[in-house]
Amino acid sequence: MTDHPSPPAVVPSPLTAFFWEGAAAGELRIQRCQACGTFIHLPRPVCRRCHSFDLRGEVVSGRATLYAHTVTMKAFHPFFVSRLPYVVATVELAEQAGLMLMTNVVDVAEADLHTGMDLVVTFEALSPELTIPVFTAASSIGASR
Amino acid sequence: MKSRRVAIVGVGYSRVGRHTGLSERHHAAQAAIAALDDAGLTAADIDGSTTWGGDAIDFAYMLGMNPLRWHLNVGVSPAFVTPAIHAAMAVATGQSDTCIAFRIMMQQPSSATLASGEAMLGATSSEDTQFLYPFGNFSPTQWAGLMMNRYLYDSDATEEHFAEFASIQREHATRNENALQRTPLSAAEYLAAPYISKPLRLLDCDYPCDSGSAVIFTTEERARDLRQPAVLVDAMALSAVHDMNFEVMADMSHTAPVHCAEQLWSRTDLRPSDVDTAQLYDGFSVITFQWLEALGLCEPGAAGPFIAEGHTRLGGSLPVNTDGGACNVGRRHGANFCIEATRQLRGQCGDRQVPGAEVAVWANAVGPFAGAMLLTST
Ligand SMILES: [Zn+2]
Repeated sequence: MTDHPSPPAVVPSPLTAFFWEGAAAGELRIQRCQACGTFIHLPRPVCRRCHSFDLRGEVVSGRATLYAHTVTMKAFHPFFVSRLPYVVATVELAEQAGLMLMTNVVDVAEADLHTGMDLVVTFEALSPELTIPVFTAASSIGASR
Repeated sequence: MKSRRVAIVGVGYSRVGRHTGLSERHHAAQAAIAALDDAGLTAADIDGSTTWGGDAIDFAYMLGMNPLRWHLNVGVSPAFVTPAIHAAMAVATGQSDTCIAFRIMMQQPSSATLASGEAMLGATSSEDTQFLYPFGNFSPTQWAGLMMNRYLYDSDATEEHFAEFASIQREHATRNENALQRTPLSAAEYLAAPYISKPLRLLDCDYPCDSGSAVIFTTEERARDLRQPAVLVDAMALSAVHDMNFEVMADMSHTAPVHCAEQLWSRTDLRPSDVDTAQLYDGFSVITFQWLEALGLCEPGAAGPFIAEGHTRLGGSLPVNTDGGACNVGRRHGANFCIEATRQLRGQCGDRQVPGAEVAVWANAVGPFAGAMLLTST
């Protein structure tokens, strides 16, 4: 036992459980309408395109481009104090134009971050209970992806 | 139902300051009394009340304004412009003859308090925040950092332009005895200030405080008999283009102000070139940049150079945020822009008066939602 602060607790709902179960299994899953194929993030009970309620989490490629990023210099929660500075980013997933996910970019020097760069998903365990999907430079993964 | 022309006849603030120790009710009472006095009205003249912060019915009853014919507490929405537009709408449609709009705002916990765990922002895990908090995203400064990063990429603006903007706003604040920050600020001092969420710096953020603001709307006809020169509502517009998750907007540089401005200009014969002064939300300075472009007050993507060329200074072609903006007068959540626009059109701004100002636009918020009002002096 240490007194290191815990990460923010995630309490999945029936609507969001697929995302966190996926992350724990090393998969990025995004909600998709089974009627019209539209991906939706953040998860919602209904498809905003066709109003179908038949929505499920599907595994996606994990490829994305960097839309915007910000280097967090001040912590707003005890868990993140020791992680400063860290990169909060909005990425556009390869599956669909405008399909945005907010995440972290890790293992990329700040000077090497540039808008539009290719990213791939990777996973980071914040605690035994919580794994989050984060992104890193596609070039650092090499030809294996 | 015939629409009536609406005027602003009274404006007022509470004793705004850092950790005042006063309650929402106290700030509401001070602001309302100041606005009634400004207008030459009494509590008995008020028959409508709207607010963001506290409770509109509670404030009105406390102040002896009753019975009410119109009342509304707005939820999360584009700052003061929402209670303001709903008050003006109530008067325009005859639901109310004289309606007061409030924005009451109490200072929020500092990042040091949050980092220590002494205070928490919001719930631990809602259906939406579980996609934000585990990534260390808690604060509006972070979506503003994302927005500013993307804006610097999409536009002609540079960090030096933001430095100029901060310096010009502070220069305006030096001419406003009600501003909380009045020491001149150089562009170099801005650039030397710490980043909060890079590229967003401390001096890109509005200044936290406790504040109460109140504005009284009535009919044009009634306004002509009151104490102040009437300021008329020429056009107004609200917009929402996304849910509240700023962080997943697919275009962060062209957001609700674009749609809001289209609505606003479609409802008036005035054009952007008619505007004498603009009072544009600066909760984060990138928001003012977006509004300048969205309203057509400068070319798309050109707000940075426009500011650096001096257009937005007092004495420039389009003085902007002449009270110093919320970075300097403190977080009044948009109400200061309504009140400053009104005072400019009355010609009551002293050292910072825009000579002959007849048309003013004020605007609030960015991203998912926005609102704006066009005011005239005749
Ligand atoms: Zn669908």
